Parts: sequence; C-alpha cells; structure tokens
Amino acid sequence: MEISIDINEVKRFMGYGGMTSVDERQERLIAELKALMEKTIKPAAVWRVFDITPTDEGPALAGTALVLKGADIRRHLAGCDRCVLLCATASAKADELIRRKQREDMEQGFIADCIGSAAAEAVCNALERELAEKLKGKYMTWRFSPGYGDLPLAIQPQLLAVLDAPKRAGVTCLDSLLMVPSKSVTAVIGLSDKPVEKGRQGCAVCNMADSCRFRKEGVHCGL
Amino acid sequence: MDFKKLMNEKEFIILDGAMGTMLQAAGLGAGENSEMLNLTRPELIEEINLGYIEAGSDIFYCNTFGANRHKLRSVGKTPAEIIPIAVEIANRAKARASRKAYCALDIGSIGQLLEPNGTLTFEEAYDIFKEMILAGKDADCIVIETMTDLIEAKAALLAAKENSDLPVLCTMTFEENMRTFTGCCIESMAATLGGLGADAIGINCSLGPRELYPAVEKLCSVTNLPVIIKPNAGLPDPVTNKYNVMPEEFGELLKKMIPLGIKIVGGCCGTSPDYIRAVVKNFEGEKCAAVKKTLPSMVCSANTAVVIDCPRIIGERINPTGKKRFQQALREHDLDYICNQAIEQIDAGAEILDVNVGLPGIDEKEMMISAVKAVQSICDTPLQIDSSTPEVLDAALRIYNGKPIVNSVNGEEKSLNAVLPLVAKYGAAVVGLCLDEGGIPKSVEGRVAIAEKICRRADEYGIPRSDICIDCLTLTCSAEQEAAMQTLEALRICKEKLGVRTVLGVSNISFGLPQREIVNRTFLTMALTKGLDLPIMNPNIASMTSAVRAYRLLANIDRNAEEYVANYGGETPAATAPAVKQEEMTLGYAMSKGLKNDAAAITAKLLESTDPMEIVNGILIPELDRVGAEFEKGKLFLPQLIQTAGVAQSCFEVIKEYLSKNGAAGVSKGTIVICTVKGDIHDIGKNIVKVLLENYGYTVIDLGKDVDPALVVKAAKENDVKLVGLSALMTTTLGGMEETIKLLRANHECKIMVGGAVLTPEYAEKIGADYYARDAKQSCDIAKEVFGQ
Repeated sequence: MEISIDINEVKRFMGYGGMTSVDERQERLIAELKALMEKTIKPAAVWRVFDITPTDEGPALAGTALVLKGADIRRHLAGCDRCVLLCATASAKADELIRRKQREDMEQGFIADCIGSAAAEAVCNALERELAEKLKGKYMTWRFSPGYGDLPLAIQPQLLAVLDAPKRAGVTCLDSLLMVPSKSVTAVIGLSDKPVEKGRQGCAVCNMADSCRFRKEGVHCGL
Repeated sequence: MDFKKLMNEKEFIILDGAMGTMLQAAGLGAGENSEMLNLTRPELIEEINLGYIEAGSDIFYCNTFGANRHKLRSVGKTPAEIIPIAVEIANRAKARASRKAYCALDIGSIGQLLEPNGTLTFEEAYDIFKEMILAGKDADCIVIETMTDLIEAKAALLAAKENSDLPVLCTMTFEENMRTFTGCCIESMAATLGGLGADAIGINCSLGPRELYPAVEKLCSVTNLPVIIKPNAGLPDPVTNKYNVMPEEFGELLKKMIPLGIKIVGGCCGTSPDYIRAVVKNFEGEKCAAVKKTLPSMVCSANTAVVIDCPRIIGERINPTGKKRFQQALREHDLDYICNQAIEQIDAGAEILDVNVGLPGIDEKEMMISAVKAVQSICDTPLQIDSSTPEVLDAALRIYNGKPIVNSVNGEEKSLNAVLPLVAKYGAAVVGLCLDEGGIPKSVEGRVAIAEKICRRADEYGIPRSDICIDCLTLTCSAEQEAAMQTLEALRICKEKLGVRTVLGVSNISFGLPQREIVNRTFLTMALTKGLDLPIMNPNIASMTSAVRAYRLLANIDRNAEEYVANYGGETPAATAPAVKQEEMTLGYAMSKGLKNDAAAITAKLLESTDPMEIVNGILIPELDRVGAEFEKGKLFLPQLIQTAGVAQSCFEVIKEYLSKNGAAGVSKGTIVICTVKGDIHDIGKNIVKVLLENYGYTVIDLGKDVDPALVVKAAKENDVKLVGLSALMTTTLGGMEETIKLLRANHECKIMVGGAVLTPEYAEKIGADYYARDAKQSCDIAKEVFGQ
C-alpha cells in the first residue's frame, strides 16, 4: 500500500497548528523521522461493505449483530443504503519505532509519535483512494469513527470482530477499548447511489472539543 | 496418536477446511462467537467435522479456535465449559465416520497482543493456553494456528509441551511481504518453534495458495520438520465477501507446492469439504519431496535472523563489570540506560548483543527479565543471555522472543548438567567455554579436549553442532604471552574438527598494556583468519568494528564491498563547521539550539573547573525555566520544550557519569512515582513529564504503562513518596485513574497530580486529585510546590 505522510499534518499533531514556522533543525528532524517511519512501517487495512437497515437504536449491519447506535451516526449515514466498515493501521512496527525513539531521545520520540498518527491517517487516505476506485460511481460520506459524537467507543471490539481485524489487519483492542497497535483507525463510511453530503469532521462531534488547545486559541485543527 | 508413525505411513497428511466459513454459511453472523455453537448446536458442529473426515481429512480441528478465557468472557463461559464438549463432538464424528481420522484441539490467537505491543504478559498468555490444553486433553493432537506474534506462538507451544504429551502442529500467518503483522519472518518462526519442539510447522490463513507460494518455498528451505500449508480460498471480495479461488483450482495450486517439500495440507478461510476433496484428488499418487537439509547456524529475534555464516559482531557493553555508571543504572533499575547501550552498539555495527546484568545486591533474575524485555521492545537484534546462574538463564530463555545464545556452559559436570537441558528445551544456541574443574588448560590439546566433551554431551541432548559456539578463552597477553597463539590454534582445530562455531571475547587480551586498541585490533584480525565467527567486543570502538568489516571485504564475504562502502564510502574527514565553534559556545546557547552533543561536551569541560551542582542550578535549570516560561506564554511549543529537555538530559548524563566515577551520590530534590494508569498504553505524555521532572533534579520512579493500582500504592509506600503523578489518555481509562487515586488515599499519605489529553481541571477535582497538570511544564511547577523548591 502506497502511503504518503502529510508533513503539515505531522506539525499539527505536534501542536504547531500550521501557524508557526518550525526551526530548521527540527524541520530536518521531522523529515528524517518521516522517512524512517515510511521505511519501517508495514501498513495494513481491511474493509467490507455491508447493507444497512435502520432500527430504533441506529443503523444495523446486515449479516452481523452490529448496530451503530446514536443520532450522529444516523445523520452520517442518512440517505445511504450501504456502508463501508474499515480498519487501517500503521502497524506494530510504528509503535516499536516510537518506543525506540522515546528511549533514545524524547524530542525524536515525540515527533515519531506525531508522525505515527499522521501515518495512520495516510493509510486511511490510501484506503479511501482504493475505495473510490473499487466503488466507482458510488457517493461516499467521510470517515466516522467510534467515539465521535454519540457513537459509542464501546462498539470497537465488535466492529473489529466483524471485520476479522485481528486476523486480517493485525489490529486488536484492549478491555479499555484502546486499539493495539496504537496507530490504528476504525471508521464507517456511508455509501449511496445518489449524491450525499461528504461533510467533514468539525468540532461538534470531536471528543476533544472540551480540552482542545486549538479551540482555546480560536483556531481550528483542520480536520 | 503416534504422529511419527502417521508421518511415515502416509505420503501426505490431509487437514480439514474452514470451520468459520461453514458456520457462517449455516447462519452465524460475522463477528459472533462460534464456540458457543458447541453448546447450542452440537449437531451442526458434528456434521461439519464429519463432512471433513468423509472428504478425506486425516486430522480435523475441533471447534475450539477462540475458546480461550479472554474471548469466552463476552459470552459468560469458560474453556472448561466449552472445550471438552467440542472434543466430545469431534469424537462422535470420528465414531460415525467411514474412515480413520484424528481430531486436533484447535488453539488460535488470544485476541490481545502480548507485551511490548500489547499489555498481556508472557506468563498470562501461557496461563490462558495452559487452561485450554488441560481442558482439551482428550483430543488426539494440538494445533496452534493463525499466530502473528512469535512470542504468543511460543507461549502456546511451551504451554502445550509442558502440560501435555500430545503432538503439536504450529502454523503462523504471513502476509505477502513474507512477514506476519508483527513483523516475524519465516526464518525466525522456523528456528524458534522448531527449537521449542513443535512436531510440524507451517503457514495458514491470510492469503490464497497462489500468494503463499514464495512463503512456503522459503519455509521448506529453512526447516527439516514436516511443513504444513493451509491457505485461504484466495482473497475475499470486500463487497460480496466471497473468496476467489474455486475448489479445483485450489487443489491444483497446492499440488504445485509438492516439489517444495510440503507434507501436511488443508484449507483455511473460505474453504469447505469440496476444497478438501479437490486436494485429495490432486495429491493422489504423488510423492512427498521433503529432503533432509543441513541447516545453517542461526540466531534470531522475531523480526531478524542472523545467520552465522561469517564473522558477526557480538556487542559486549551491556555488562556492569568494571563500570560504575552501569552498576548505578542497575541499582536504580534504569532500563532507559540499558536500552541506550543497546541502541548505541547497534548503530555502531553490533549484530548480536550480549546481556549481562549480574551485580551483587540486585535480583539478577528479575533484572534479566526486565532487561531482555526492554531491549527486545526497542530493537530487533538477537541477544546473547549472559549469566552464570542457571535459574536466571531459564527465566530469560522463557520470555525471550526468538532464538538466543546462552552464555555459557563449560566442561564442569555441574555446568553441563544444569545448562545443556535448558539449551535443549528452549532450542537456543550455546557458548561452550574451554575450562572445567581443573581450570583453563594451558595446552591446545587440553582445550580441544574440553570442547569435545561439551560437544559430546550436547549431542546427547540433541543439540546440533551448528548451535554450539566454542570459546577457547582469551588470556591476558601481558601475563601469559605464549597463550595468545595457543588460543588461536585451539580455535582453528575446534572449528575444523568439531563442526562448531567459535566465539571469543577479544578485549581481555590487552589487559595491563598501553594502547590497548592496537593489541585488541590485531588479535581480532588474527583470530578472524583462524576462523573466529563471533567476536565479543566493543563495537563502539570504530577500529574494532572496521577490522571486522574489512575482514569481511578481504575474505570475499562482503560481495562488491557493498557493506564496506555503505559504511565508509560517504565518510568525510571533517564535519561541516557549525555557525558557532564549540569552544566559543555557551551551554545556554547549545541548549537553546538543541545541540545535544555540543552541550554534553561543554558540560564535560565545565566539570573540570565547576562544581556539578553549580552547573545544574546555575545554568541548566535557569535555561529550562526560561524555555518553560516561553512555552507557557505560547511563544514556544511543546516540541521545543522537549528539545531543550532532551539537551539538558544529555548534560545530566555527563554529570551523573562524573559523580558516579567520583563515588559521589547525586543530589535529589525528592522522589516522585509516575505512571500511565491501568488499561492505558499511551505513555508518551507520561514520558515527557518524566524527562522534565528529572531535569529539575527529581528522582522519578517510572512504573510504566497499564499499571495496576496496587503497584502504584506499593511503590509510593516503599519509597515513601510525597507526590504521585498519574496519566490517562482516553475517557475509557479515566476509571483506572479514579480507582488508583482511591486506593492511594486509603493507603498512603501523598499529593496526587493527574494529566492527560481528555482530562479537565473539573474532572481532576471530581476524582479526588490534588492537582491537575495541563502539561509537562506545569507538572514541574507542581513538584516545586510540593517539595518546596
């Protein structure tokens, strides 16, 4: 899978928010670590298309016991008769590199961590390109993840099981619902034959809205 | 079940096809628990088992793949309630069948990753598998399958070998890059699982027979065990969820693998009895092409296999002997220090790392386990476990991920009887020292005789010669000048006569002489020409590492001088000059520019004329304060704060080294226990806080991540700390934080600060914390307040 990590996204994860110029030394460090991360990781992803039927609790996925609960996911899938369930990961090798860099040098460890997060996003982007190719002619909404808005994070284990993600992408989940490897993403994308609003994340459904540093400063993270 | 007999009687052993696919066809939803069907629909499982036997399976799998404690929790059952019933069902199917077949207790992945990727410990995983194995004792054999993590496969295999006499088949799941999701390579799997005593090894799931061909080819070339292949029915279509290889084609593709040497075949996801029938048809009348090969000498971690087919550098620096700073690190349980010793040596060219943590007054066994785990969590370099205590070796061999070298056994009866069984059990390689009850023989013949004795005894345990590394022992040249040539002569003879590898600690040769590097390097070069395979040396000394690389070039091992040029080709004699020369630089300037090496050098220079504490309080801390203040004002950002902290850390390291050398204890401003709470594994925030607190002179006891509340209390009480810092990243782990605070309040009088991405001051107050730390800088301010500085 060809992925390209977005440097600006890395800087955003680092807290720079695109409004500060990074010094030359750190700029170089970011570039070096990005190259190292790209060389080290073994991105993996799995996705499957499901028919959805509305229920009182929220959209249900055909052929599974999974119900996507909440008003926000219902809104997200409005006008869609099917959805893509996906799981993408920058792999355990990303975690290992971050661990190593933290032991070696905290600054590099921190940057590597931010690059790892950007790498997971990059895997998702690559996967979305693949989806667009495979599902030509379909209209898609954006990637809505468990924990956004009122879609409970608690569905994570079931979502991973439905995708057989431990086997097919090497992604598992702890009892505390954290995914391992840590730089992994699960998401739901709505599919429709008719145009749907792609939308974007925005602050309303973000679970960091209360403690967001960007918001406090009156700016936006860009997602 | 007599597995060997079955192997001899049958040209090929046919396994079954998928269970999950059959269950889904019968109405099981994706992601639903399939083991419950043993209780709710036993007749369905029996029909599936029977269907495979009648299709031609010699061994079929019981419906127990996910019947482990962890996965069954969601349906409120235990392995003991499910597994015996699944085996009973299988035995009923056997009794009804028209042909003979055997049933296997099927053991899949637990569903949670082990340390260091996840939180499950090796012993917890072992225990989960042991429970399954005891519950499935009435099966005919054990199958461990779909493993992606070598250490998990090892836990399962060890649990099987130690709790059952049944034959064990072991398969792992590889991707197209011929690695598992956790990065395990085929050579490492073969060496590790083969060494641990698996009866057959192989590959299952993930891809179809077409895509897996290269992986099977590789596996067949690196093992003498029967090879298993159980692929999926091709690849599933994400839209229709249908697999793309049909039964007939499946059978044909598997048949194409016969020349590779496969012995045991079946199908995984997407296959059915039709696929097995197609395999049987295609394999009829064919002959197994497996041949016995001479396997190379090899050691490995899960991700890296090092073949000892030419001189390989063993780094010797993880060893406290004669190193005060290292001893201090061991006493302080400073795993960061040990990890950095590992990274430094690897960057310098070490290919294997010796790990020795023996020091009077410390618990060597516990320290060895911690050190091996820590080093393996940050690098892929294979390790050499170095201890004179068999108990320590045993503990390290258990949790080691891969195939290590044991350092060492010698010709003494006591040593042979204690160490060789461990080497055999865990399938390790071993260093054999040419000494015995009578000491080190002076003569060449005497040393060779001991080497022969070690080899003979190793033979009795089934340890192959390729796993024995004989050390003819380097004696100090200044004391016994004639000994150097005797050592080298003994080395040559052992290598030629015994078919072993040779290993030698080279640095000892020059003890007591001036300009030791000259002697060491020359002795190393001489030894290499006599056939030394494994020099144990300090790779950080450039002339030593370059001697090995130059040898590999001259001996025509390093083809086209690729390695040599890669390492020395780009070297320019003078580094580009910095904007400011180091002599003119102040420590403050170096810190503000993130110049770690310069800052360390300036600190070392300052120490010649300045009191260490004056450097700390007069330069380092004020600079940190300045950067911290800028950070608070929003003029500087977190990465820049960490950058300065990193530079300060390198200065502190120089000061620590200095104090340690001069026997002076460092001055601590107070001790703080910190951790990432139970359930949470995102520890970067906590690690940043740690670095900063240490910079301000606090002693930080870092308990790591996913820490049990009881451990936090224990550490807080034992060290009588006044301040505890807790970190949690996710809303789901804030519960772990609250629980820890409650337990601390009930047991120990101290202040508690909390921090983490989703935390708010209000929430911190609600769960009973004394302080909310917005960021690492504020953690330091809180510490100052608590400790009154």
